[in-house]
Amino acid sequence: MPILEARSLSKTFRRPDKASGFKGAVKHLAQRKYKNYTAVDGIDLSIEAGESVAYVGPNGAGKSTTVKLLTGILKPSEGTVRVMGRDPHVERIANAHDIGVLFGQRTQLWWDLPVEESLKLLKHMYGVSDADYKRRLAMFDDLLDLGEFMPALARTLSLGQRMRADLACALIHDPKMVYLDEPTIGLDISVKDRLRAFLRELVDNGTTLLLTSHDLADIEEVCERIVVIDKGTIAYDGPITQLKAHYITTKAVNLYLEGPADVPALAEKFPDYAWAAGEAPSEVTVTYETSRFSTAGVLGSLTAQLAPRDLSLSEPSIEDVIRRLYAGELTK
Amino acid sequence: MTHGFAVDRAFATVAFKRRLAYKTQWVLGLVLGGGAMLVSMALWHDLLADGALSGYDWSAMRAYIIIGFVTATVVFGAADWQIADRILDGHIAIDLTKPVDFQRARAAEYVGSMISTVPTVIVGVTGAWLLFDPPGPATATAGALTAVSFALVFPLAFGITYLTVLVCFWTKRYLGIMWLREALLGFLSGMMIPLAFMPSWLQAIAWASPFPHFTATPAAIYLGHVDTAGALGLLAAEAAWAVGLWFGARLVFRHAVKKVTVHGG
Repeated sequence: MPILEARSLSKTFRRPDKASGFKGAVKHLAQRKYKNYTAVDGIDLSIEAGESVAYVGPNGAGKSTTVKLLTGILKPSEGTVRVMGRDPHVERIANAHDIGVLFGQRTQLWWDLPVEESLKLLKHMYGVSDADYKRRLAMFDDLLDLGEFMPALARTLSLGQRMRADLACALIHDPKMVYLDEPTIGLDISVKDRLRAFLRELVDNGTTLLLTSHDLADIEEVCERIVVIDKGTIAYDGPITQLKAHYITTKAVNLYLEGPADVPALAEKFPDYAWAAGEAPSEVTVTYETSRFSTAGVLGSLTAQLAPRDLSLSEPSIEDVIRRLYAGELTK
Repeated sequence: MTHGFAVDRAFATVAFKRRLAYKTQWVLGLVLGGGAMLVSMALWHDLLADGALSGYDWSAMRAYIIIGFVTATVVFGAADWQIADRILDGHIAIDLTKPVDFQRARAAEYVGSMISTVPTVIVGVTGAWLLFDPPGPATATAGALTAVSFALVFPLAFGITYLTVLVCFWTKRYLGIMWLREALLGFLSGMMIPLAFMPSWLQAIAWASPFPHFTATPAAIYLGHVDTAGALGLLAAEAAWAVGLWFGARLVFRHAVKKVTVHGG
């Protein structure tokens, strides 16, 4: 039985339909008009216990709204959600006991108190025993260096420290299901790396994770499955490896020649490959279809006939694939 | 249940500490509240110089003003903006992911922030007692029942404040609602002018609302304007309002929470 199951999940908001300017403001005051906006449109989603799922999409695609529906914050306009067998909106308090939530753009720390006070309050809320609380704090300290800013007021923390503290707040009660909405937003590379390693460990220990992020490195490093949402509907749902295997059908070799590259002549000489000029005059990129040519064969023929000074191999990133999915170039 | 109370205590403690984090605000509250009490004392001293008005002489009025100071300090010093801000800036999204009853958690915070006003009350009342020497309660029973009335001000104030804050779900603004509530509270509770000075029809309107229980009820009991049976009747009405507002707020919240529209991350 899935730990989370959503069927035909939809959320429609009513937004004021107001013309700009003074005239528009006065007109709206006298005659109010509203437009319906569907943020999530008939989503089906099923997550098994222990899965790590990336939930990605462009801005305004409906990612955060979905998370709010799944956590019980919002009431669905249509459809159903069950998390561990419960309706998260109707049985909000019971559901909240078993989930951990982090919204990267909103802190759950009490702004004018030390981090320690926020965590103590959460300990009481979740009924965490003293022994478990100490054990988990020690773990967070070990993995996130939490101890160094535990006595600091939340408002004095850097963004990276704040995010690490928020992550501890979301996980202090060892939840079975964790929702992380943009957990690495605005963080520098080193903090991101530590957070990703921490999340990977969390998943390895059996926690179910739903992660939304614009940073595709988060996704590749932490998750096995990816759900791509666009305009409120799911554009792709499957393993990341399958997404890559299915959509990444080409590879590229960057060649650095001894002299300037004559791209038209090279294209004529090797018509099976696609050729493009590189950044430098002597640089050229060769793209080939992996279903037709082996990398060893391509490299062998190119090095034998062109004797490049250097070369590097690259394949399209998951980011390229998702960009093309958003653009509608690829289908499910 | 024990766990529930531990959570309430934790929320109240956090709210109390948050209030103490802003010491200047606390001192300003004491200065302004004390200043307002002194102005009232001076005003009523002149007005009652020629004798009693509407059943209040200078002696009774001194006690009345101090009672008004106590309830005003407790009620106006509580953290209504913190609850309103959580709704308006979308922080309620975080609150709704926590395994606590939203209303009960806010009530505990409210009580915690109200308790932070107790030092102001103690300083203000002690100062006023030394300066103006007001009369004591009419009887020992009246004194005890006044204390009960003061205690009931906490849930009553929360009920009114919380209900008005919930209006933010529809209005998306709080300032106007707050002004309206505070104007009604200041006027209809008798904090500004005892209700006895108002026309009978306005008194009837006031007594049909929960507001007089903030000042008029404890003052009437303290000064012996009502006998023990009358005092118990007033306390029953005060308690009924507190309970009614609590459950009324639950109904409103159940409807309001469906209107949560937190856009973006």
